[in-house]
Amino acid sequence: MTRVESLLPFWTVLRRELTRFWGIKRQTILGPVLETYLYISVFGAALGSRISHLDGYRYIVFIIPGLLMMSFAINIFSNNSSSLFQQKMQHSIDDQLASPVSNTQLLLAYGMGGFIRALIVTGITYLTALILVDGLPMAHPFLFILSFILIGLFFAMLGVLVGLRAEKFDDISLYQTFILQPLIFLGGVFYSTSLLPPFFKTLSQLNPIHYMINTVRYSMLGKADVNVAVSLSVIGAFGFGLFILNYILFQRGYKLRS
Amino acid sequence: MNNTATSDLPALRVVNLEKTYATGTKALNGISLNIPQGSFFGLLGPNGAGKSTLIHCIMGLAMPTGGTAEVMGHDVVKDYRAARQLIGLAPQEVNLDWFLSVEDTLDYHGGYYGMRKAERKERIDELLEAFSLTEKRKINTRFLSGGMKRRVVLARALMHRPKMLILDEPTAGVDVELRLELWKYMSRVNKEDKTTILLTTHYIEEAEQLCDHLALINGGEIIKTGTGAELKKHYNKKTLEDVYLELVGRGELTRSSLTGADK
Repeated sequence: MTRVESLLPFWTVLRRELTRFWGIKRQTILGPVLETYLYISVFGAALGSRISHLDGYRYIVFIIPGLLMMSFAINIFSNNSSSLFQQKMQHSIDDQLASPVSNTQLLLAYGMGGFIRALIVTGITYLTALILVDGLPMAHPFLFILSFILIGLFFAMLGVLVGLRAEKFDDISLYQTFILQPLIFLGGVFYSTSLLPPFFKTLSQLNPIHYMINTVRYSMLGKADVNVAVSLSVIGAFGFGLFILNYILFQRGYKLRS
Repeated sequence: MNNTATSDLPALRVVNLEKTYATGTKALNGISLNIPQGSFFGLLGPNGAGKSTLIHCIMGLAMPTGGTAEVMGHDVVKDYRAARQLIGLAPQEVNLDWFLSVEDTLDYHGGYYGMRKAERKERIDELLEAFSLTEKRKINTRFLSGGMKRRVVLARALMHRPKMLILDEPTAGVDVELRLELWKYMSRVNKEDKTTILLTTHYIEEAEQLCDHLALINGGEIIKTGTGAELKKHYNKKTLEDVYLELVGRGELTRSSLTGADK
């Protein structure tokens, strides 16, 4: 088997993932872009007129890094969890499982599908924000890219894990609505945790999303509530840990092969 | 593509294959089976006998808990990529992707097996023509009738030119016309392309007509193998259906008992 032939199965599964979300782009691309745009407009315009500055930045500028991270995380997670779950429910994944596509190729392709969708959504949102918001800074571009790669790894693998475990749609919405979104909102997208009373500040520090938001915020604004090097290491370690866990589950055929 | 087969090896060699599910159900109880290359092999047994589990173990959709299975010398677990490259599966359940058209279903399947674009395109045209699906090529599979979906499943199984084709009750719920049409095509694939076919079906008379080798399976064990004539002679029965009923312990349910002719 040539190198191209051995990579073709991986590329085909990935192509299937890209075709899936592109085929329903009003739901998977335009919807999330509009949602983030509404957050920027409503929170930025409505609250921004009352809170002029936060941590030395205009309120609208302060919330954009968190909104980008939120949009990125939710899109990766929902894409990967729902795609894998749907394929499992339809049993159409059996066509891939019975083929020579390796478990590693399957895991990487399912992971990357959501990553690419989230890149498109977040990229459009960022470009829109650049046009709409004057003086949006980019203090550390390399760190900006690195943090999105590591955050992407974490949520891509989390989405795959939840999709793998889910037995009904309710299981996915349970994670997204009752765990992920509250953690994101309470992680400091719309506020600085330095403003919180000590108890809630300590509580925030137990929230992993808090570190992700602040890492992206630091890369754009140059200021954050957390130690960025530690945050990046922890995010990377958790992302890699989830990758290893998924790899083991795929190898064992967990909820895929009986 | 690595779909080379060595001619002196059996198409499928199963040795003491066992499968116990996590629930504790023992679906395969040490099955051993040899399917010669180029044969049309029928696997007959009642529901729950272990037919689909055996197929799932060969295809990697279920993990065997004991024994081995080899496809033309390639172990289905240790050397699964080479083994799967040689097999095409038409499962019992229509498991088409809701998001894909007929053409894309075949195209993606070819990609999973490492087929290049030009090769895929040529093969798709060939199969769409063979299964009378050319006019439906752009239609999403979820909008097709049951019979059409079944054709797509069979075309998909043949897409990567497998050396061995596994048909798990391929004509369940299909009308007579389509059933005969499909059998005719499968016989041609077996004779002209020398593709080994493993068929499970509940249509015993058809299995007798089509298959040159048969195996009867029940309770996760192979009860008897042989040609239709050998099985009938061995059990002293007029029809293969009677042999089958005898072996699964329902000898009282003969055709003649329906009309009272045996009274």
